[in-house]
Amino acid sequence: MQTLTVALAQIAPRLGLFDENLERHHTLIAEARGRGAGLVVFPELGLTGYLLQDLAAEVAIRLDDPRLTALAAETKNLSAVVSFVEESADHRLFIAAALLEDGRVRHVHRKLFLPTYGLFDERRFFAAGDLLRATPSRLGIGLGLAVCEDFWHLTVPQLLALDGAQILINVSSSPGRDLAATNEVGLGTATSWRTLMRTYAQLTTSVVIFCNRVGVDESISFWGGSEVIAPSGQAIFSAPFFEEGLFTADVPLADLRRERLTLPLLRDERPELEVRELTRIVAERAGLAPDTTADDLAEAGLDVAPGDPIHPPIGFRDETAAGTAGPPRPPKSPARVPR
Amino acid sequence: MTDPAAVQPPEPLFELPPELAIDTDVARRVIGEFIRGQLRQAGFERTVLGLSGGIDSALVAYLVADAIGPERLLCVLMPYRTSSSASTDDAKEVVRRLGAASELVDISPMVDAFFATDPDASSIRRGNVMARQRMTVLYDRSVTWGGLVVGTSNKTESLIGYTTLFGDAACAFNPIGDLYKSQVRQVAASIGVPDQIIRKAPSADLWPGQTDESEADFSYPVLDRLLYWRVDRRRTDEEVAALGFDPALVARVDRLIATSEFKRQVPPIAKLGPRTAGVDYLYPRRRPGSARR
Repeated sequence: MQTLTVALAQIAPRLGLFDENLERHHTLIAEARGRGAGLVVFPELGLTGYLLQDLAAEVAIRLDDPRLTALAAETKNLSAVVSFVEESADHRLFIAAALLEDGRVRHVHRKLFLPTYGLFDERRFFAAGDLLRATPSRLGIGLGLAVCEDFWHLTVPQLLALDGAQILINVSSSPGRDLAATNEVGLGTATSWRTLMRTYAQLTTSVVIFCNRVGVDESISFWGGSEVIAPSGQAIFSAPFFEEGLFTADVPLADLRRERLTLPLLRDERPELEVRELTRIVAERAGLAPDTTADDLAEAGLDVAPGDPIHPPIGFRDETAAGTAGPPRPPKSPARVPR
Repeated sequence: MTDPAAVQPPEPLFELPPELAIDTDVARRVIGEFIRGQLRQAGFERTVLGLSGGIDSALVAYLVADAIGPERLLCVLMPYRTSSSASTDDAKEVVRRLGAASELVDISPMVDAFFATDPDASSIRRGNVMARQRMTVLYDRSVTWGGLVVGTSNKTESLIGYTTLFGDAACAFNPIGDLYKSQVRQVAASIGVPDQIIRKAPSADLWPGQTDESEADFSYPVLDRLLYWRVDRRRTDEEVAALGFDPALVARVDRLIATSEFKRQVPPIAKLGPRTAGVDYLYPRRRPGSARR
């Protein structure tokens, strides 16, 4: 297999200035092509900036927007991942990452997990995506797209890999924070991300590409540090922190086969086991199935009872009242005494 | 070979609690980008700040000079007649070392005129008027110099409310507002702020001999550590007691934090219409079209 040259566009998008950011995308796609790249990746909301708040509706585009079509037209014999606010036909706003290839929009991933805690407020302004699909690509290899927080959930890299992705691409707008001298790179956020990327690459035996933006929106600074990680978990390339630039890295795709033969983790995954157990957990949490391993008075789906239960939990287990709906309770196993 | 026992370790410039130690290179990098970003988004190229001779404003002057060049910074020295002359000397030394533009504005006549008919005004009132007079001068120079006012309040004084609302706390943006005093000292030492400014006891310099630590009866390293565990690391009463903090100090600091919450927030607007600023009309402070030019 050949070597894939990946270009990481570690840019500082201008907040709310779609056309200016679009121009920069055109320029950098041309530059990446000139440097022999087969894949160029832009960060989360690279076309709009991150901290949009009520501007989100003003910069949102439909997938048939001529500006996106024109950008896609620049991708003859090239793959590009770009990110923007997508407005659906029913007027929901999504944080989207699109794979542009050979002149068209090949695949769109809508961000699944919208952080709404700490310094984040995404769920207020955006709808969460519902679909997760690996996508084939002109590179002859499956790609998996994810946006920032999506990679703080174990299921996402695993599902993408099980669905056929061999290159996992995370586009981010990760704000740098938690400065401490004790962190590996002086920045808590960066330390965490670097750990995640290496872990996912190793556990999914996939190439992981992380493209994070730089620059400042209001109070928050984005730290860059984009990376390409080999399926062994070793970094192939690490971009500098806080520095804007188009960085290229050569990825030997033959390593994917070698790693997957050496370490057949994906071969040995047990998706049917996960489905079975997850189905059980979902039913238990909904109070729709008895939890035979749980303490008495434990919350539905959570096996351990609180130390000092003050009322029977809601759901299946609350069957003391006559005529309560739900399946008949199985014979009680020897009750464990709540702590 | 030198006998290691014979070598006296240099006395540290300041006490740095280990949990507050930061990577100063990363901090300076983030702050530099922040300063440039704020100016670009606002359409300004210049900045103005009040330089007291203390460590906070000295550090901000160094950070701004580092980020955009000293020629784009105006340092305004605004002593009152009771201000320590050593403070003014230290401020002048900062200006000299940076090569920034500067102006000396004696605020005594303005403040004295204000209190001319009220000679018994308390020192609190006088201190507040001095801080607000300095704010007035800075915002006036913001027009004549064409620069944004840079804030110089640190995280410690902001959390305990040791600031004057619309006085020293007023600014267009603040590069050091998330650094505790101990961290201000650390970054100041790394960027070359003169040692004597780092060493001297922090003071609002509102009357002779005043120092922050004597006035409020705490030491900055202890207060910074407590605030860090309490605010940043969400430790409970029992947990901070187990870390060795005096419960009486904890209670006092908790109260200072709670009673000064209003100083850290934009005043609330009574909600009446369909969209209300800060409630459900939420835009970035700087957005397309908001730059001055």
